[in-house]
Amino acid sequence: MAEVQVKDDGGKGGKVRSKKQNTRVDMTPMVDLGFLLITFFMFTTTFSKPNVMDLGLPAKPKENQKPPDTEIKLNNSISLIIGKDNKIFYHQQDQAGLNDQTLIETNFDREGITKVIERAKAGASDKEKFTVIIKPTDDAVYKNFVDILDEMAITKNERYGVTDIKPWEEAIYKKKVGE
Amino acid sequence: MCDVAFLLLTFFILTTQFKKPDVESIKPPSSISEKLLPDASLMTINVTPAGTFYFQPVENGTERIQLLDNMAAKYKLPAFTNQEKVAFTKVQAVGVPIGQLKGFLNLPEDKQKAFKAKEGIPMDSTNKQLIDWVQQSLAVNPNYKLAIKGDVTTKYPKVKGLFEGLRDIDFLKFWLITSQEKSN
Repeated sequence: MAEVQVKDDGGKGGKVRSKKQNTRVDMTPMVDLGFLLITFFMFTTTFSKPNVMDLGLPAKPKENQKPPDTEIKLNNSISLIIGKDNKIFYHQQDQAGLNDQTLIETNFDREGITKVIERAKAGASDKEKFTVIIKPTDDAVYKNFVDILDEMAITKNERYGVTDIKPWEEAIYKKKVGE
Repeated sequence: MCDVAFLLLTFFILTTQFKKPDVESIKPPSSISEKLLPDASLMTINVTPAGTFYFQPVENGTERIQLLDNMAAKYKLPAFTNQEKVAFTKVQAVGVPIGQLKGFLNLPEDKQKAFKAKEGIPMDSTNKQLIDWVQQSLAVNPNYKLAIKGDVTTKYPKVKGLFEGLRDIDFLKFWLITSQEKSN
């Protein structure tokens, strides 16, 4: 493929004539390489950029400003507690109703938390205002947090909040993980 | 056709920016987000698995020098020499407390690259240097954007502390760097 084609017109006659050389060089390999490089650079330019996820935090309430009324009906919200070792728990209870049985463990799979959120949303009395309350414990890792935000994007939940775990929830959680 | 192909090749070669090697390897968590990191003036906070913070200032020489001056003024440090300022414009990421920055900038370049921060930039309730870096950067140019790159195994309380600090200075919109989730 890469040879330079030389046309030999046979050795006829005794006189040595200067051979007529074909000056056309086969460019195929060079062009092949060119396209290979193009492909390489095209792929690297688009893939070297990392993906990002938007995150907007709520502003801290000013001192002379009353925090807005954030009371949400229990069946209109679901609390997700992110624990250690990639464990996740959920409940729809208040302080009185929460115990070992009502704090339920699930997982980060599609069959787990996605289903739970969808089910809770279907059972909400006001679907427009269905809110997910995310409560990472101090045992949680950053990945869990991102996974949950991701889950919000998957289930198309615009209304969610990240907050600290309440002491009464933490007590039940600690009991559940055996501490 | 070949001409066009080689034109394209030249274009891609010239426009490709190779990823600079990171100081410490951070594996961002995966997400379904398909949004790519925008090209805006971007400062990045890297959080290592151990929870140390690195701050990557915007890649703009003159604005970096302003930032350095601002930080020196804020912490009442002696002014940085011109040599140190030049070193700062080239630095990949800052991972030392402000008091040790002078020593870090005076290291030879190859040592800077291999430098692994033991403590990183302090960020706790009493000493919020990391937040000051962000705040002083914004003072130089309020259009800066912030991206946070955390590792899969970074403890959440570390990240929470950072978020709370950013809320304190009313800087509420930023990006979390993630990797593309593999389709399954």
